[in-house]
Amino acid sequence: MSAQEKHRLVVCSAEELREGDRRLIELDGVEIGLLRAEGTCYAFRNSCPHQGVPMLYGSVVGTMLPSQPQEYVYGLHNEIIRCPLHGWEFSLKTGKAMFSPAVSIKMYEVKEEGDEVVLYLDRQPQSITRKQFACVL
Amino acid sequence: MTTRVKHNGLIDCDVHPVLSDFNELVPYLDESIQQYMNIGKFAKGALAKQNSGSFKFPSSAYANPLPVPLRADAFPPNGDIPGSDPAFLASDLLDRCQTDFAILNIGHGTMSAFHNVEVAAKYTSAANDWLYGKWVKSDPRYRMTMEITPLDPAQAVQEIERIGKRPEIVGINMHCVNIPLGKRHYWPIYEIAEAYDLPIVLHPDTEGTGEYAASFGVGPASTYMEWHTSLGLIGQRNVISLVCEGVFERFPNLKVNFIEYGFSWIAPTMWRMDKNWKALRHEVPWVKMLPSEYIRRNIRFGTQPIEEPARPKDLVELIQMIGAEHMLLFCSDYPHWDGDELERAFLHFPGELRHKVFYENPLASFRIQP
Repeated sequence: MSAQEKHRLVVCSAEELREGDRRLIELDGVEIGLLRAEGTCYAFRNSCPHQGVPMLYGSVVGTMLPSQPQEYVYGLHNEIIRCPLHGWEFSLKTGKAMFSPAVSIKMYEVKEEGDEVVLYLDRQPQSITRKQFACVL
Repeated sequence: MTTRVKHNGLIDCDVHPVLSDFNELVPYLDESIQQYMNIGKFAKGALAKQNSGSFKFPSSAYANPLPVPLRADAFPPNGDIPGSDPAFLASDLLDRCQTDFAILNIGHGTMSAFHNVEVAAKYTSAANDWLYGKWVKSDPRYRMTMEITPLDPAQAVQEIERIGKRPEIVGINMHCVNIPLGKRHYWPIYEIAEAYDLPIVLHPDTEGTGEYAASFGVGPASTYMEWHTSLGLIGQRNVISLVCEGVFERFPNLKVNFIEYGFSWIAPTMWRMDKNWKALRHEVPWVKMLPSEYIRRNIRFGTQPIEEPARPKDLVELIQMIGAEHMLLFCSDYPHWDGDELERAFLHFPGELRHKVFYENPLASFRIQP
């Protein structure tokens, strides 16, 4: 399904999702977290596949890339979100866990269009709740 | 006593020959070290008195309290110590069990954790030559692991270069000191071990027997019972170190055989390591597979002293549960007090698993040319 065929949902204004901001929205009972890092907006299911805690509390970080033994190579700066409970690392670009491509968080298509932050969904949600969210990160 | 277990091949990965007397080493040992050890022509007379018996072989502080701390049914006819007579051992153990190959791991103690590394190194070379000359050459079924000095990797590499290509040498008996096994300190040894296709063998001995001995995690044991039961902790700590430091990424074909540390603890160790790696991968980014995958690929375990759960089949289920069928190596530990008898210890093992443990796994894990 192309973006044109998907359901378009305006989440907030671009001003409401500035660098480092986070937003939480619930669609048909499913929480979706949004954040902006290095200028890019990301949207993902707000639940870690491991033990279900809300991913939106996770730190946005870079990480050590797979390397030769006893060598540290830093990369993927601010492209990783780390689960707030056990620290599992997921790529904000793909949703895949760093330790295995078989484990992932669901990522949603999100675009910044003019002054709007827009989610593109597979279907139109029946209920939409914009939730209050605050965290110290 | 006869053994009636039918098998299609048996490789005993842990048999212990011992020196009857340190003077057995004299033909193999540099004069300077004979003097240091007060043996040979320095055994009696003024010199021993002059140096006040300064040399003491590093023996464990944890002595086995049994009246006879070795198999009391294994004394050779001449009344010497069990494990001191190659011909008697061959008949008492190998003939009885129809053993194809017995891997000899020196049983009279090691100097790996001894404070004077030069003395330890020369003693180790002499002990290797004694084992090769007196034992290995006495029966075609004998193979041996060679000892090295883990505190001095450069010297250890020289010793491996000196004798490591002999076909009778099937592994490197490293012993552990207070440097975890994964540290780069050991990598020159691992490099040559991998190149020579020799597994590293870790066997308890140094624990509590020298200034560089590994600790028991918390603190000293009070009794032999505590000491003996805690050995598994050292095995566990070293498995964790090997995987986390990236040894098996750097040396993918290196085998490390943990003999006499038990093996049932590997199940929770694997589970815990896999779980922690998912959270902490960035700290060890060179670990690219699940830790349990490296363990299954590169690490092997001796069966003795076999765990004895109240329901014996639980052990078989545990082996199946963790996929360890290819990881276990039969060890009798003859002539030690806690050895395992072939006939009884594996009673509940299915035939196919037994054959793997008795023959296939040792054949694949040591450099044995049948």
